Amino acid sequence: MDFDTSVKLKIYETIAETAQAPAAPEVAQALGAPLSDVLAAFNRLHQKRLLVPEPGDPARIRMASPFSGVETPFRVLALGKSYYANCAWDAFGVPAALHADAVIEASDGFSGEPIRLEVKDGAPLPQECISHFAVPAARWWEDILYT
Amino acid sequence: MLLFRSEETVDSWCRENGVPRRPLIDLDQLWYMAVTWYGNRLTVESRRPGPDEMVQIFAAIGLEGPFWDPQADQWRSST
Repeated sequence: MDFDTSVKLKIYETIAETAQAPAAPEVAQALGAPLSDVLAAFNRLHQKRLLVPEPGDPARIRMASPFSGVETPFRVLALGKSYYANCAWDAFGVPAALHADAVIEASDGFSGEPIRLEVKDGAPLPQECISHFAVPAARWWEDILYT
Repeated sequence: MLLFRSEETVDSWCRENGVPRRPLIDLDQLWYMAVTWYGNRLTVESRRPGPDEMVQIFAAIGLEGPFWDPQADQWRSST
């Protein structure tokens, strides 16, 4: 396994286990690798669009999709933990990645009315709810935090 | 990518933000996208789908056209 894959897996394993995104020093310690190597791997993973560093701090993770490194309006309860997702798509992405049942606590993007979704046995339960994709695929990464 | 209770609140959000209404995705479509994108994200072989794979994933649930094509030129310099 190459180093970038090891870093990526450690990031995702840590998030899955703790519901918290690890910073580069934590990954470096876990892998027994120099911090500079891990920071370089973070940058390469960003270039591959597999993670988004915290703006202004390349050692911290804002997004390791579907997971968010910060609290968002998309809270996902699964495996006895509370995760945060980046958007509606990623809110379903968390149980898809964890292969687990989940309850998603979100809200209507306009009214703020609470929306509670549930994924059970590998499928979402019916709910009066839709998602709106405001940004075309060709522009998702122009401002991924907005997308 | 936001969630809405109804098309009415989608339209209200679009008016408030001065953006046109774009595709609406139901929960079954959203779940399919989540599974195909993230189902193996915690494994060694996980990777982001390439542009052609993306188009195929979206087409499988009826999402076709330039909006869903990450290489569509028309969206790169407008809107």
